[in-house]
Amino acid sequence: MTMVKLPAATAPARPAATSRTRRGRADRKPRILIAVTALFFALLYLPIAVVALYSFNSKKSLTVFGGFSLRWYRAFAHDDVIIASLGTSLRISLVATAGSVVLGVALALGLVRCRTRLGSLAGLVMLVPLITPEIVTGVASMLLFKGLGIALSTGTVMLAEITFSISYVTVILRSRVAALNPEVEEAAMDLGATRWQAVRLVTLPALLPAVLASAVLIFALVFDDFVLAYFTTGVDPQPLSVRIYSAIRFGVQPTINAVGTLMLAGSIALIALALFIPRLFGRRGGLDILSGE
Amino acid sequence: MALLRHSSRTRKDTSGNRMWVWLMLPGTLWMTGFLIASLALVAVLAVGTTDELGNPRFGFDLSGVRALADPAYTEVLARSLGYALLTCAICLLIAYPVAYTIALHGGRYKNALIAAIVVPFFANYLVRMYGWSVVLSDDGPVLRALRAIGLADSNTKILNTGVGVVAGLVYGFVVFMIIPLYAALERLDVSLVEAGRDLYGGPFRTFFFVTLPATRQGAAAGLVLVFLPAMGDFVSAQLMGGPDQIMIGNLIQDKFFQGQNWPLGSALTMLLMLVLLVGMFGYLRRTRKDEAEVRR
Repeated sequence: MTMVKLPAATAPARPAATSRTRRGRADRKPRILIAVTALFFALLYLPIAVVALYSFNSKKSLTVFGGFSLRWYRAFAHDDVIIASLGTSLRISLVATAGSVVLGVALALGLVRCRTRLGSLAGLVMLVPLITPEIVTGVASMLLFKGLGIALSTGTVMLAEITFSISYVTVILRSRVAALNPEVEEAAMDLGATRWQAVRLVTLPALLPAVLASAVLIFALVFDDFVLAYFTTGVDPQPLSVRIYSAIRFGVQPTINAVGTLMLAGSIALIALALFIPRLFGRRGGLDILSGE
Repeated sequence: MALLRHSSRTRKDTSGNRMWVWLMLPGTLWMTGFLIASLALVAVLAVGTTDELGNPRFGFDLSGVRALADPAYTEVLARSLGYALLTCAICLLIAYPVAYTIALHGGRYKNALIAAIVVPFFANYLVRMYGWSVVLSDDGPVLRALRAIGLADSNTKILNTGVGVVAGLVYGFVVFMIIPLYAALERLDVSLVEAGRDLYGGPFRTFFFVTLPATRQGAAAGLVLVFLPAMGDFVSAQLMGGPDQIMIGNLIQDKFFQGQNWPLGSALTMLLMLVLLVGMFGYLRRTRKDEAEVRR
């Protein structure tokens, strides 16, 4: 590509030249990069596709496809143990979502608005779960419950999941709170609202899309979580992830393909919904929900 | 003026500040009570003992900590570090071209493409890993394709080898590299790249002297985000590896579930935390230095 070198004196001509070269560069698609990206997408979706495909297999094999059948879905529907686990997982996710959203939204509001030393300390505490690997959180939670003499159960999983999820809610909500104009709250107060009324009637409604999106995301994350549940669950009925873990450790069970397919479909739908919720409210949706940026 | 308004509101502001503190308190107390206290408990138990029934007893006994020096454990720690660092490097090599292609050549499909990567990654980790182990199995599509083009023979295996474990870790966590890299590349000022080309830099020189330095912070963030979960993972080694490929996460799991040696398990957990804190510290020093350079 030959480039016209522009002397400084012809500066006004520069924007045109830049836009032309940019289009020229974009037109010349780099084939190798596109091939690498395509291969990446293929490998990313292959495992998911394999699980989904073989969940419809009429044979009990993971390499030979015998024909289309719903027998593993039927087996799943008649498996009382797995259905009980599904119920446990749904209960855990609901409670953990409710608890962590309430605590996390309040924490986010306080963190952004409060300019005291306690505020910066709380900001540090909030970061700890994000930089601690799950196995450490799992071990620590288990030891705490055992140390306090609390028997491990569905309830202990709920408590541990709330602890872990507060940080996610706070990270997602914090940037939203910071983006709000505090003068709107002040205007409400000038019009006679108390500060609490201003938060309840002005700030919280403005945060609603982000709160809903984070709730849906947390529900999916908790439902799918394995490590923390594994360390803090009691004997019966265990959460679905823990059940799947013991099943895939001890050989292939095609029922797991059916359960796995349903779980993948469910959480993909929920996460896509979380990305889409802000758009329903006419706001920019998208990945900033996940990254908290 | 801002000062004036502030002083006229002082009374209201302090009462408001108190309300923010009250809002912050439940969440912070909850996290301190459950998380900080439980992490402290791990540290305490690492120097504790167990009674005849295997229940943990508090005390000061260094046998758990001393056992860490056992070559059997240092070997596992070294292997975990090696796997995690290799995973980081491979993730960077894979994620960079993918993020680059989507950010600079994705056009109007950019957001859809990145969502198509991120969404399945937040779906169930176990089911994805299980599917990946089927794909990499001896009769799986990857080995069959490699055999067809002559890159593997009938004896080549991926499962039950170190390659399998690292492949599992990469598949599990590569998205944590893609997100920050994509964010950095999307922010990249294209006119900088064009300036490099205008100054007769070839595509490679422009990439290495303009694009790469501009996205260094994104890459550093991605390395930390991959290193943290990869170092603590135990599922990949279990599903993809054999007994010779266990990682520190497997040891910890074993000490708490099968071995019932809680002090040793706690000591191993603290050791893992220590390694990760060293990594985090290095990252923070690095970014602080970068920021200082930018300011200058």
